Order: sequence, then C-alpha cells, then structure tokens
Amino acid sequence: MAFRDVNARRHIGLQQLSALASTGRTFLGPVKSHKFIVDEITKQSTLICSAVRLLESLDLTSAVGQLLNESIQAQKKEFRTGMSTLLFLVGAWSSAVVECLQQNVPVPAIVSVMSEGLNSCCERVQCLQIPTHDVKKELCSNRVRPKASESKTGQAGRDALTNPWDLLCFQRDISATEEVIPINSCSHQGDDCNFNKLLVSPLAGFGSVASFVKAAGDKSSPALSGSAVTASSCITRKLTHSRHFSTLGKGPSAGQQGSFQGHLSGPPADVCGCCGLGPLAVALSHGNQSSVKLLQSIAAYQQERAEGGGNSQINIEEIVTCCVLGLPESYSCVSPGFVTLVSPEQASVIKHFADKPLRVLLMDGDLTEGYRHLGFNRPPNVRTILEHPSPQGRAGDAWLSRTLDILMSFQVNLVLVKGNVCKDLMERCTASRILVVGCVARDVLRAFGAATGARAVTYLSQLNAASVGSGAWAELWKSRDGRAVDLGELLPARISAGGIALLTAVLTTALPCKAQLLEDQFWTLLYRLHHALKDGKVFPGGGAVELLCLTHIQALAEQPGRPGSDRAVRELPSPWLAEYKPIVLQALASGWRRYLAVLLRNTARAGSELEAGASVDRHLRKAAACGSPSAYILEEFRRGGVLGSGSEPFPEQVTGLRVCDNVSAKTEAWRRALDLVLLVLQTDAEIITGPRGHQILNSPVSSEFMFL
Amino acid sequence: MSRLEAKKPPLFISEPLTRDAVSQSLSLLSGILKSSYGPAGRLKQLHNGVGGCVCTTSQSSALLGRLSLSQPVLRVLTASVRNHVSRFSDCGLFTAILCCSFIENFRSLNVAPFTVIKISKHLLSLCMDHLKSEACGCRVSVDFSSVETLVCLVRSILTSKPACMLNKTEVDHLTSLVLRAFLFTVPCHVGTNAVLGKCVVIPVKGGRVVDSTVLPGLLIEAPEVQLGKPLAVKRTGSNMIKIALFSVSMSGDGSSPEEGTIAVHHRVSLQVSELNQLLNVGRQLVKDEVGLVVCQKVMHPSLKQYLEEQGVVAVDRAGLSLMEPLGRVTGSQPIASIHSLPPGCYGSLKDLCVESFASKHFLHLIPGDTVICSLILCNRSETAWDELKRVCETAEHVLQLTVKVPLALLGGGCTETHLASYLRHKSCSLPASTLRDLGCSQTQYRLVAEGFCRALESVARALSHDEEEVLTDAVDRGQIMHGAFPENVRLSCRLVCLFFPALLRF
Repeated sequence: MAFRDVNARRHIGLQQLSALASTGRTFLGPVKSHKFIVDEITKQSTLICSAVRLLESLDLTSAVGQLLNESIQAQKKEFRTGMSTLLFLVGAWSSAVVECLQQNVPVPAIVSVMSEGLNSCCERVQCLQIPTHDVKKELCSNRVRPKASESKTGQAGRDALTNPWDLLCFQRDISATEEVIPINSCSHQGDDCNFNKLLVSPLAGFGSVASFVKAAGDKSSPALSGSAVTASSCITRKLTHSRHFSTLGKGPSAGQQGSFQGHLSGPPADVCGCCGLGPLAVALSHGNQSSVKLLQSIAAYQQERAEGGGNSQINIEEIVTCCVLGLPESYSCVSPGFVTLVSPEQASVIKHFADKPLRVLLMDGDLTEGYRHLGFNRPPNVRTILEHPSPQGRAGDAWLSRTLDILMSFQVNLVLVKGNVCKDLMERCTASRILVVGCVARDVLRAFGAATGARAVTYLSQLNAASVGSGAWAELWKSRDGRAVDLGELLPARISAGGIALLTAVLTTALPCKAQLLEDQFWTLLYRLHHALKDGKVFPGGGAVELLCLTHIQALAEQPGRPGSDRAVRELPSPWLAEYKPIVLQALASGWRRYLAVLLRNTARAGSELEAGASVDRHLRKAAACGSPSAYILEEFRRGGVLGSGSEPFPEQVTGLRVCDNVSAKTEAWRRALDLVLLVLQTDAEIITGPRGHQILNSPVSSEFMFL
Repeated sequence: MSRLEAKKPPLFISEPLTRDAVSQSLSLLSGILKSSYGPAGRLKQLHNGVGGCVCTTSQSSALLGRLSLSQPVLRVLTASVRNHVSRFSDCGLFTAILCCSFIENFRSLNVAPFTVIKISKHLLSLCMDHLKSEACGCRVSVDFSSVETLVCLVRSILTSKPACMLNKTEVDHLTSLVLRAFLFTVPCHVGTNAVLGKCVVIPVKGGRVVDSTVLPGLLIEAPEVQLGKPLAVKRTGSNMIKIALFSVSMSGDGSSPEEGTIAVHHRVSLQVSELNQLLNVGRQLVKDEVGLVVCQKVMHPSLKQYLEEQGVVAVDRAGLSLMEPLGRVTGSQPIASIHSLPPGCYGSLKDLCVESFASKHFLHLIPGDTVICSLILCNRSETAWDELKRVCETAEHVLQLTVKVPLALLGGGCTETHLASYLRHKSCSLPASTLRDLGCSQTQYRLVAEGFCRALESVARALSHDEEEVLTDAVDRGQIMHGAFPENVRLSCRLVCLFFPALLRF
C-alpha cells in the first residue's frame, strides 16, 4: 500500500483542482465559447459547450479529479444547471485557499470561516429572491405601458417580452389606484395575447386568434370593471387556466373556435390569463431563444392537461426528445406523443396503418428468444436430451412463429419494446404489418400504458387480453410546413394515443455535431424552468446575487465580532479566529469577484480581466455607498442590469433580455463547490490501495511515496 | 486443481519490534492515525489509483479496513482495533493511537518486558478503578430524563468527523434525527427481557442533509410503484395486512448450486415447471389472504403479474440487510423454499403506503408497535454520505451502549490528561508492598508509569494539528464526550501485554 503526503504549504490537491477547473472558464455566463475536444489517437473530435461534457472528455483518474467529477455529476443529476458555476468556483476558491495557506492561515480557520461565510451569504441573498408569479406578472404589467398600446400587435408583444422588468416599480405605483388595472388590461389585452400567441405557438394561425382574444376581452370587461380585482390574485390564478395555452393543447386539427368559446364561459379570473410561463422561460433561457419556444409549447400542452388540477409545474417525466438531422433549426417543435426515428420498412408499415386505431403491446425487456428477466441465472448443469433430430429447420424458427402467432392472436399492431428486438422477428413483424419499435424509454412505456390501458409485460407468455392496450395511432412526423421528412436511412415517426401525456421535443438541426448541444441546452432550460416553478422563486441574474454576496462579505469582514450569528465559530477561541477572519473572508469573496470578472470578460463587456475586475470594484463601491446594497442591486437590476449601468453596454440590453437564475441550483452549486474545496483542503494524504500500490513500489515515482 | 510448491524454510525473526522496518511502518501508521484524529483531523483519500471510487475519510473503520500492511505485527494491532470497533463502533482511532504510543514508549525503556507488562497492568487497574469511582472528575452521568447530555453526546460524535461536511444547522438537524431514531428503538412496554430495536439507514445520495428524516417502520425501495396511484392492499378480517417474506429467489431459474448434471428431455422445460411451482405458491398466498409479498431476491415477472392481478402488492430485491428488520417488524418467518409454506410463517402490518424522497419511491411498512425505524439519510456527495452513514451508525450504537452504562467521559483530551496526572500522582506515593508484589524497583515503576502517561497525553495532543490551539479551553469544550471509554483503555493495555513478549523474548 502506497501513501503520499499531499499537504505541503503548496497543497497539491488544491492545485490539481484549480488546474482542472480552469479549463471550464469559457463556459461561464450566457455567452459561451465552444470547444473542440480532439482525441489524439483516433483524431476524432467532438464539439462541446458545457462543463459536464468537458469533464466527460478529460482524464480524471486522479483522486481529486474523480471527486470533482462526482460533484459535477451530482449537480447535473439534480438540477441540470449550475455545473459551470460549480466548476468555476471550485477553481477560484481552491486557488484562493492556496493563497490563504501561503499566508499561514490554519486549516480549521479556513474551513470554519469559509463555510460559515457561505451560510451567511446564502441567508443574505434570500432578500433578492423574486417569486415566480411576480416574474410571470411582468407581462401583464406591460399592458399599462403607453408604448405597448401604441405599437402594433406583434411588436408590442416583443417589447413586452424584452423588458419584462421595466415596470416593476411602475406597476407598484399603479396598483395603488386599483381601478386603472382592469381597464387598461382590457383595453390592451388583445396586444398582449397576440404576442403571447406568437411566442407560444408556431402552429396556430394568427388572425383567427386575434379576433377571439378580442372577444374574450370584451366579454370580460364588465366583470372586471365592476369588481376592481386586485392585480396579484387575478394574475396568479390565470396562469393555470390560460386559454391561449389551452387552445394549443387541442392540437392542430382541433377547432380553435370551439375551444375559445368553451373558455369564454369560464370564471372571470381566466380573463386576464394571458401570461403564462413565457417571461419566466425567457428570463431563465439566458438568451437561448429556440429552446424558449419549445418550452412554451410544452408548458401550454401540460397546462392544458392540468386544467382543473391547477398546478403550474412542468412534469419532466412526460417529456422526451428526438433529434432530427437535416432540417434547419427553426423547424424544432413540440409534438404530442412519441416521435422516434424508424427505418423505411417500418415507415411503410406506418403508411399502411393510415388512421387505423392500433392495439398496442408494451414490453419492459428485450424481445429476443434468449432474453430472461434481470436476476435470472441460467442453470449451468442442465443437459437437454434430444431423442431424434428435429425434422424442420432451425430451433429459432419455432420461437419466431410462436411469437408471431401470439401477436396475431391478440391482434397487436404496435409493439413498444424497452430493450432490443430480435432482427428476424422485426422483419417477420414488418411483413405481417406489425410495427415493432425497440429501445423505448421507460417513461414512454409508462405514458402509453396510462393512455391506452396497456400493461407492460416481460414475456409474451404473460400476455392476456387485459395487458393489450388500444387506441394508439402512428403516422410519419411532418414538419411545420407539412413537409414529410425523408432523410434517407431513418425517418421520424410519431406514435401517439388519445389523451397521452407524453410530449416529444423534436430538435432539428442541419449540423450533426450540434445535435448533442441542442439536446443539452433544451434539457438545461427545461430543468431550470422546472426548478424555478418548484422553488416558487428565482434570483435576479446577471451577477446581482454575486454582487450582493461581495457587499455582504465586505460588511462581515469589517464587523469586529464574529460573522453573523454563526455559533460554530464561537466554539473556536475567538481571538485566535479573528486574526484570520479578514483574510479568509477575502478568499471567499475572491471566488465571486473572479466569477463576475470572467462573466464580464466572456460577454465582452470588459476588454481584459483587469478591466473587468476594476468594473466589479466600481459597482461594489456604488452598492456599498448606497445605504442598502440589496435595494441598490434590485433597483439596478430593474433598470437594466446590475453590472451594466457603467460605460460598457450590457449585452442583455442589446438582445433585450433580462435574466434570472434558479435559487436552489445556484446556492447548491456554491455549497457543492465549497464543500469540495474544503474536503480537499482538509485532506493531507492519499492512500493507494490494492495492486497499484505494488506497481508504484517498483516505479520511478516511488520516492514520492511511503509504504506501509 | 491443487498447486504444489516447494516448501520454503521457515524464517524466524527475533525481536520483531526492534527491527527498523517495523518501527518505520509503525511510526508511519501512527502518523496517519494521529493526523486523522479529532474534529480538526485531516482526511485521507483512499483509492486504488486506477480510477476506482475515492473514499475521503478520517474514520478508523474505513481506514484500517482498507490498509494492507506488510508487517505482521501491525496487522495484529489493526485486527485488534477493528475487532474493538465492531463491538463498540466508537473510539477506534483513540485505541489505535494509544496502542502505537504504548509500543513506541515502552520499546525505548531499558526495563525487562515482563516487568513492563506487570507494571502497566497495575497502572491499568488504577485507571479502571479511578474511572469507576464516583470521585473521578472527568466522568459525566448520562441523564435520560433530559435531552441535553444525549444531544451533547450525539453532537460530539457527529462533529468528530469533518469529512461529513456538515454545517451548524445540519449538525443540529441530524442530532435531533439520530436521537429520535434512538427513541424509536427503545421499546414502549418493557417486559422482563427488553431488547433495543434497530435503526435502518436508507441511502438518498446527492440530496441536502436537511432533507434527511426518520420514520418509524421500514422503507423498501420500490421503483415500479407510482406515486399518484392509491395503493390497494388486501386486508384480513382484523384490518391487518398479512405479509409473506421470502428469502429464497423466486426468479424461476431453479438455481441449484449442487454438483452434477441434470439431464432433461427436450420436450420438458425446467423453466416452465419452475414457473408453475411459483404460480402454485402464488395461488396459495392469495388463498391465505396475503396482502403483501416481499422477496429478498428476484421475483419472476409472471408471478408478479399474477399477484398484482389478484390485488397483492409484490416487492422484490429487498436485499439481505433488510431481511432481519423485516422479520422483526412484521413478525414473519422468512420463507426459504418455494415448495412448502411453513405454518405460521406470515406476519402482519398495520398499514402500507407509498413515500417518495428525492425521486426515489419507497413502500413504507407501518407496523402496529415497533422498535424498528428508518433513517432516510441524505448528503451531497457520495464520499461524504458514506462517512455520514458510518458516523450516524456509531452515534446510534453509542446511545444504545449508554443505556447499559449511563456514563460518558469528557472529551477534547480532558480524560486523557486527567488520567495521566492521576497516575503520576499515584506513582509518587506507591506503597512498598505494591512494588514488592510487582517485583520491580521504584525507578522501574516510575519509568513505566511515565511512558504510560506520555502515551495517554500523546492521544490528547493528537487532537491538535499544525500547532493549532484547539486544546486551549478544554473546560469550555468539555461538551465533547466519548462513550464506551473504559473499554478502550482496557483494550489498548491488553494489546500492550500482547506485544511486549514480542519485544524481547523471541
């Protein structure tokens, strides 16, 4: 067993951490630089744009590298966002901690001050949280903006979207005079709804919607003007009953007229239900427009289903993605049901189905002769005795025809299989016009089970009348402009069933190397929205939270006593700790300071890191000079962006977007990053167990090790 | 196939403790252990160097379990310490450090080992008598009528391992959970032979520590259970749920590990006959009004389907570790054969429901009256979770030990320094008769006593790392406590007796 001392003044583990983490700095912020990862041996390259994909391509056999990967994966598993922040802060904090060590700060002082400092910051930034319904409300507040009413319908919508926060303050003023809101909201409702429609639905026709929306506004006006509904209650409720979203859910063929009529008779609160998750999705998208559209249609479909249930959550389990190569990215859309790529033979079966309702069978294993359920061990000591050689053909044929007989006898047209499908069987089924699709995700099977009444089986012998579902249908997937996609080998097909909850985000791209990027981006945004709704609140983005942390740490460092109300610090002799407190708090602050500087640098708002650092300091001084830093930051955020009010233009203003971040994803990323750094900091030795230890003993590096 | 190898001549090593290699390894081992000791102890990264999982720890059980030592002498030492840890869960590092210090200190003395053993045994008995006496100043009696001492005890165990990565709030939360779990394991109605229950740790890795919780009864992971659906369970006449517990595999593979070959006619399918047997068992279970079937191993999908169609909840892959608590909770006998269901093998439950923690679904088995509870333990990273699990189990065990002996000792090095000064004081005024009984001179006794005391103090000193002033106000920090302390001292001294013959006699 080999043993290596890592804890010199220059802590090797921390240095490894900061070296590994420094590779991911360009992934910070909304403007990310892509990277090519080239395999030196095979010369294959991949295009990546996220911390997770980067770490997947790095050699992480070192202990520290593995711990880093573990942290990133854990963050990814839970949030799908914040991994780049985590990676960056790991790097920034580990190098800051190394500096502390060089100044002879004892390890326990670093550990206790940093972790308590982070705790204190996490508590402090709670005051910046914006409830999600407030973010969603922004859209409605735009109705009272003179500019919106002047401009044309589509334009108004876009404006409203681009500056959702402009009227946060304005809106407050207005809510004092309650009468104004309903009147205004009615008079401008058409505008808002139209733009919302634009955003939400690439499918829906434009003109017809506009007219109906107007009708809705007209009808509602008496109810509203009489009651002077308070803004918030009306607005929060309408989200779950958005009629515009609900029209979408009916699918392209459903009569829009009818559905609107239905909703007109709904409660008056529905009437101003014109703003859904749109603004929230835009704010969380950090500039990724294409995914926002997909997300809004997902939200629309899901809220249509949840109508009555009344919760505005995104159900992630009911969403799958399908990448279709060869179409431009603008063709991406959301289709209800299950879209997957099928072979031309399968496609011909689908064509043959036409509009026939299909009987569906779900299988939760492989569909091969040799497959046995997980945990089945083949007995090794069984010998089969054949009395006389079987007269006809191969043994597998019997299974094939038996399987086919079962499928035929239950009149199954569609088989969805979780695992692999025997090739011969696939051919035989195709010939008999049975569509068999393999490698179907468990969630898809579950959705089809719920919609068709089918029950998944492992073996065909389990099949009975109750386990076959009915009412599914299949068609070739068509793009928005009705063009069936024929891209050679594989064709997208859409399999669906009446009332199915499943949605497929069809991601189209002409560049094969971008497929994974698009998928990653889509899931990231979906999870951001999911968590924002789960948390019920978001942080203002663009560095607002980090800036407040910096001001808070400044205040803590200047405080003579212990930071905040942390009782853990009290357990250590306080004069001893007080000596190191300012240095360690500075180290903690330097993480966020560098984060902000790199953010400015990446978004090209600062020419150099030095310039960026100076800019951060300037904002810090401004915030500190103002009596309440949090109020200053919120104010700046509403005005246009926290770090943007200086001389340099703020890109979010250029693109006209303001950003929000997830609350728990962000604070958890901080916590995970600091935990990792402190874990490595407290480690003083690496112990290598097993056979590798003996190899080291005989290798040239053995002088670095001690042996037990 | 057996392998024959020419027998090597036996190698005799005399005085193994004096060899350089041994003393180097010993000092390295004691360095590793000392640097890991205490709440500010440094962590060790244990891994295989080729990409296996990394264990970051400062716990003796994890450290000693993975170290492979080349010196037989050290292997004896670590084996003894591990044995101690398996009995008491706590104070492994303490014991190991004390052992190493004893060996290091006594080896350099120019006193016959036999004498050293005699004297140190005497010193040990002095320690034990003192620790048992009311006059001992570093002893705290654990008052079960108030929660304060118990909280202190649990908290000092939780904070003693920094690799758990807990902050203050998280320590408070876990302390209360561990205590609640302990209280669940104490039976409400104590008969003549009260038996403490058990706390089963359910892993939820990747979650926040504050999301951890404790529930009475047992949780079995059931990934196929859906949250939205209400659980329809068959109940018996007395509104209880009958449960059957299988420890045998029900996968239908007829696994028979015996030797020999079975010859089967090609028209006969073993699998089909095996499945028929399973379905017969299923029919019997349905007839007997069983509402829940739990299988330790895998269940055949056809059997599962049959049971579910009959309204019986079926869960497989419960795992070996749950079997014993499952039996205790439900009062059922694990069924080890699918050919016969022994009479009276069924147990019963009051209720059954579905719980979900961090996207994992569980069946919650709620018994009528139980001493079994489940601690759903969350921590952010894998390595921190592993450490936390061991720490929580230690805390549960220590609490249970305090029921037996409701005494705790002051931590933070207090007890060790106190004992050392007590021994020094005693050895000054030793009656001549004792010296005569021990057959040693006053000087010899003083020398050994000094070595003994320095070993004790070196354990206390190991609490501080990098010359930090952790020990400055030990009285303030007197809230840190050890459970099961006397056993540690005793074991360390027993080890000394074991080692000393090796020192010179060979």
